[in-house]
Amino acid sequence: MSILGAVNFPPIGEVLNWKPFFLGGSALAFNKVTLTAVLATAITFLLFYAAGKKKALVPTGVQNVVEAGVDFITNSIVLDIMGPDGLVWLPYLCGLFFFILINNLFEVVPVFQMPSTARMGVTLPLAITVWVTFIVVGIKKQGFASYFKHSVVPSGVPGALLILLVPLEILSTFLVRPFALAIRLFGNMLAGHLLLITFAALSEAMFAKSISLVLLPLPFAMLTVLTGYEIFVSALQAFIFTILTAVYIGESMAGSH
Amino acid sequence: MVSILLAASQSSNPILPASGEIIWSVLSFFVLMAILAKVAFPPISKMLKDRSEKIRGDIEAAEQARNEAELDRAKAEAQLGEARHESTRLIDEARKTAEVIKADLVKRAEAEVVEMRQRAEEALDAERQRLVFELRGDIADLALDLAEKILQEQLDRSSFDPLIASFLAESEASSK
Repeated sequence: MSILGAVNFPPIGEVLNWKPFFLGGSALAFNKVTLTAVLATAITFLLFYAAGKKKALVPTGVQNVVEAGVDFITNSIVLDIMGPDGLVWLPYLCGLFFFILINNLFEVVPVFQMPSTARMGVTLPLAITVWVTFIVVGIKKQGFASYFKHSVVPSGVPGALLILLVPLEILSTFLVRPFALAIRLFGNMLAGHLLLITFAALSEAMFAKSISLVLLPLPFAMLTVLTGYEIFVSALQAFIFTILTAVYIGESMAGSH
Repeated sequence: MVSILLAASQSSNPILPASGEIIWSVLSFFVLMAILAKVAFPPISKMLKDRSEKIRGDIEAAEQARNEAELDRAKAEAQLGEARHESTRLIDEARKTAEVIKADLVKRAEAEVVEMRQRAEEALDAERQRLVFELRGDIADLALDLAEKILQEQLDRSSFDPLIASFLAESEASSK
């Protein structure tokens, strides 16, 4: 009990609502979360720029990493889900994947240790961007009426069931999709962030109580394992967000149902 | 949306999005997309495309080289088969020629042997005739010498030649 009492777990507001570095009090308040988002943008751009500049026939280093990522997105997401027509969306999907991945990875970067994607302020705009994109693509490819008809009226369903299904389709396609995208990424990254904080705080408390030789290995081992696991989750969540984006845009291009 | 932003910028709820985070992340993402689309992605896309084309070209060239090598191999095999056939033919021909030459040599050798044997027999006959003739003379001389000693007188040797010849002919006939 005395050990648990010594755990210095920070209040939830303190680990999520970061104090602004500058422009505090305004709508443009710049804090740790916005810094990681900006840094993720810069790092993604630098990765692509450096990879594109090397132009080696046999890729190594940064070029290899970026090319492997682009190749993975091309084959496992774009061609598998959207087909060759989807290749025009490759830059968008690559940018989305790398931007989310790098934002996620800030969770395990010392000093930062905060993924900006653990904030709805980052995931929701991304999800809304995807939402707007697939609706615009659908309207452009199929026409306004045709797109909405195909999106909300499932084919081959008896008329009586449409009364039930049409509102559900409207709900799932136009309301649930963006929020599901945003909350899935936000929830996973927030949970990981809180887990790491929990075990870090526990390790610190054990160490402070000078019983580290007996009990410290357990929370510290968990912290180490979870750090590795969060790297995996970072990649997985970036992949899921990107693949769902490809599915939604692909459906809009082809006409779902 | 605006009301959410305003509420978030002032709300202490840690889950609600803060306006600064929304604005900066949207700005970052759109800037990134613009830069990627215009500057950073095209070289990578071009590089990947060029490499794919190069690999495809290399594979096609390798395939062509392989086909050419297959053709050359087939040609070489055909030539080798022809050479083998030709060598077999030459060996058979040489063997036949050797058989003919051998048979001819054997035949000639046999003929030579027969001829040599015949010549040897003829020589032997001639020698025997000569010896018989000499022996006859010697026998006649011995008989006449003996007769002269018995009779104690000189005999006319030529008068006894027919007798001696007749005697030798009889003894020769009886010995056969």
